[in-house]
Amino acid sequence: MAKRKSLIKIKPKKFKDGEVVKVSFMVMHPMETGSRKDKKTKQLIPAKYINSVKFNYNGKVITTMNVWEALSTNPVFTTYMKINGKGKLTVTFTDSTGEVHEKSKKIKPKG
Amino acid sequence: MQRREFFKKLGAAATVAAVVSPSISFGADAPKKKGPNDLSYEAAVNAITGGKTPKKSNKIKLKVPEIAENGAVVPVTVEVESPMTDADYVKAIHVFATKNANARAIDVHLTPANGKAFFSTRIKLGGTQDIATVVELSSGEFITAAQNVKVTIGGCG
Repeated sequence: MAKRKSLIKIKPKKFKDGEVVKVSFMVMHPMETGSRKDKKTKQLIPAKYINSVKFNYNGKVITTMNVWEALSTNPVFTTYMKINGKGKLTVTFTDSTGEVHEKSKKIKPKG
Repeated sequence: MQRREFFKKLGAAATVAAVVSPSISFGADAPKKKGPNDLSYEAAVNAITGGKTPKKSNKIKLKVPEIAENGAVVPVTVEVESPMTDADYVKAIHVFATKNANARAIDVHLTPANGKAFFSTRIKLGGTQDIATVVELSSGEFITAAQNVKVTIGGCG
């Protein structure tokens, strides 16, 4: 299994405590719907898409998403988040084949 | 005379074929097209709201392109006017592609810790259709907004 590449991006880069910032979670994932055919072998490509995404900040779940196959290849999930002290943001996703992936980013507000 | 009869027979055969063929093709296509998660837009909305009809509201800002050249990557942004406090916040944002086989695209469950009711992603569209969003507020109300997107090349298969 290829290693999944993912990225958490926070905008703006420098933020203060209590500020509301934009958080994007990007992941390299095929998001196969299961109804597409391989052009050479004429066989259906088995479905493989992200089922659920969870944003966890300092042990508290702030956002959960139920995802279906309609999302594009290499999806991006963007929401906002209120900074509430130092800590860690962890994003976990599960896909339809049971693959679980986790990515975390340290959060250090300044001032 | 022979020629005339031949055309008569041909015509009769064609009508029979025309009558029979739709039912045959329907029978052959229907189970093949049906995916495990297929659900129509109306059924999906009903399952979420529990039978209530969501109100149209201008509190929702739904940002989608009018014309999408590539149906495989259509950016969708949903923003809802809300104070996002413990007493009054947006509970969930549901995004639908109304004519996809599985109309559901994504359900986002928010909490007051988000600070702003905003969500954006990219979705696949099979053809020209409406993108709709149903927003659940903490008061139990449902509001909705929809916009049409013209797709030049479909993105599903």
